[in-house]
Amino acid sequence: MLKTMNQKISVFLILFAAGYLYLSYNLKKYPYVPVDSDLVPKVLGYLLIVLAIFLFFDKSSETEEEKEKRQVPKKEILVLLAVGGMIFFYIFLLEIIGFVLSSFLFIFGCSWFLGYRKLKTAILVAVLFPLIMYLSFNYLLQIRLPQGLLPF
Amino acid sequence: MGAMEGLMQGVQVAFSWQGILFVLIGVIAGTLIGMMPGLGPISAIAIMIPITYGMDPSVALVMMAGVYYGAVFGGSTSSILLNAPGISGTVASSFDGYPMAQRGEAGKALAIAAISSFVGGTVSVVLLMLFAPALSQVAVSFGPPQYFALMFLGLTAIASLSDGSTIKALITATIGFMAATIGIDTQTGTTRFTFGNPNLLEGIDFLVIALGLFALAEICFLILKRKDTSLGSQGDIGSLKLSKADFKEMRGPMTRQSFLGFILGVLPGAGATIASFIGYISEKRIAKKPKEFGKGSIKGLAAPETANNAATSGAFVPLLSLGIPGSGTTAVMLGAFLVLGIQPGPLLMADRPDVFWGIIASMYIGNIFLLVLNLPLIPYIAKILKIARPMLISLVAIFSLIGVYAISFSTFDLYLLLIFGVLGYLMRLFSFPAAPFILAFILGGMMEQSLRQSLTASNGDIMALISDPVSISLYIVSILSFVVPLIRNRKNNQHQQEEQNSDAS
Repeated sequence: MLKTMNQKISVFLILFAAGYLYLSYNLKKYPYVPVDSDLVPKVLGYLLIVLAIFLFFDKSSETEEEKEKRQVPKKEILVLLAVGGMIFFYIFLLEIIGFVLSSFLFIFGCSWFLGYRKLKTAILVAVLFPLIMYLSFNYLLQIRLPQGLLPF
Repeated sequence: MGAMEGLMQGVQVAFSWQGILFVLIGVIAGTLIGMMPGLGPISAIAIMIPITYGMDPSVALVMMAGVYYGAVFGGSTSSILLNAPGISGTVASSFDGYPMAQRGEAGKALAIAAISSFVGGTVSVVLLMLFAPALSQVAVSFGPPQYFALMFLGLTAIASLSDGSTIKALITATIGFMAATIGIDTQTGTTRFTFGNPNLLEGIDFLVIALGLFALAEICFLILKRKDTSLGSQGDIGSLKLSKADFKEMRGPMTRQSFLGFILGVLPGAGATIASFIGYISEKRIAKKPKEFGKGSIKGLAAPETANNAATSGAFVPLLSLGIPGSGTTAVMLGAFLVLGIQPGPLLMADRPDVFWGIIASMYIGNIFLLVLNLPLIPYIAKILKIARPMLISLVAIFSLIGVYAISFSTFDLYLLLIFGVLGYLMRLFSFPAAPFILAFILGGMMEQSLRQSLTASNGDIMALISDPVSISLYIVSILSFVVPLIRNRKNNQHQQEEQNSDAS
């Protein structure tokens, strides 16, 4: 059972499609139209199930290259998660401390974490890039980015 | 009126100082972004969209078109110098471009690429000018059933032509379509799949998906490869000069591939990638010395470079005249149109001649810019490849986040962006192509609308969809676009097996 990666993904997709179909069947009915809003979702849900079944029985095995792509060392996964965490934290702080400050923290912190060791350049970029972006968005494009703690 | 008057209006837009300035900005930004390993035209266009907010639509779109073909051009630079194609459309350029660079003729290779791109781009703009208006006129008579059939063809074509498994491509297309059903249904007002979250009522913004699936997902791979130092070791690129004999050799492929590339670009689903590969293969087949291909042949570089740029302009034909994108990249381009409140389609030429002709006229300038600017600047531009990866990663991340924030002003969309970034990474990991997802997402809403309009008009009779010759033939082509590659694959496989068997024996 579930020997190949395709089969695992297929089962996952079928479950996903089932959930989607369940929601589609529970959509509110609207009596005055010949085609209601549930038609397309239902078609899509069944279509996905059919395609997933095809995938399940798809015999074409993965190429070596594809398999190799999936071999990510554990340490690197942690690095990815850490960067994801930093982005999450950035979003969280964005509207609290403002665009310039949070971007400064992110650019500096993320570059440093990933192994950038030129302190001067890192600080310079982390200060100038958000500032230029902020000023040009706010004053040239009239798009207000979060101001946050800064007075301008 | 007509076309002449409209063309004049377009020329006015394109040759205004703003027009020229923004084409210049567009092609430079496109080249720079396209050159970054992994970042292709889709990411380039998506990243540049926020900059267009508040700009005059015609000027903004002229710039976005510049970003598009600039990115295609930029991609070939990294193919040649590093053997690291930024996008699939320039993979074929690395076959002969990289061996040339290794021989110390990187400059020559880049010059060939620039000139072939220019020729391919320019010839196909002329063709675009001839074909787009004609197609618009045909398409004016299209109703919802024909549009539905047309979009259906677009989706099946991209699924059957995308690299890798067709089933996987269809699955991503279906899920992309599902993502498009989230939000308030425009016809009945029913809220679908929002889980009571008010942020989802208007559906997911396409930029969230484009930047998540492409830019953020690419960041993950950049992170994994951050210690790769091959980028820093790029040495001198040598002379850019081409001899007369070189030109003579380029002439044949450039002429043929300009036309072939354009035609392939017009066809839904095909686009730059297929055009460049077919260009390469067809030139190899008719070449007098096919053995030279793959070892630094001038023809082998000129062919795909001409073809992918010709296909780029070709892809604008269905986008401008039908309003229907044929590829992931043009789907994002359509998104850029919609953000600016412009609906491309058969009426665009009459309603907004400044936009329609402005884009076309600007392509002449853009192609000249690419040639004059990039040729002398190539050695300096190539330096951007030396930007340290960690810094690049942080900057691309901020660009993507701000791009999304600037349209929605909500952090909810940013979290959503993060989720799509993870999804994009997983899809890449399991070899699911992302382009069908974005195309289906953008076409999904339009497809559902035209399907339901057709069915409402016929009172639910499904036969209304296949009641006229135009739609019937479109469905036949859709089916063919599936069957033909399947048969061809099978034949190829048999062929390969036979070859393996004969090798083994």
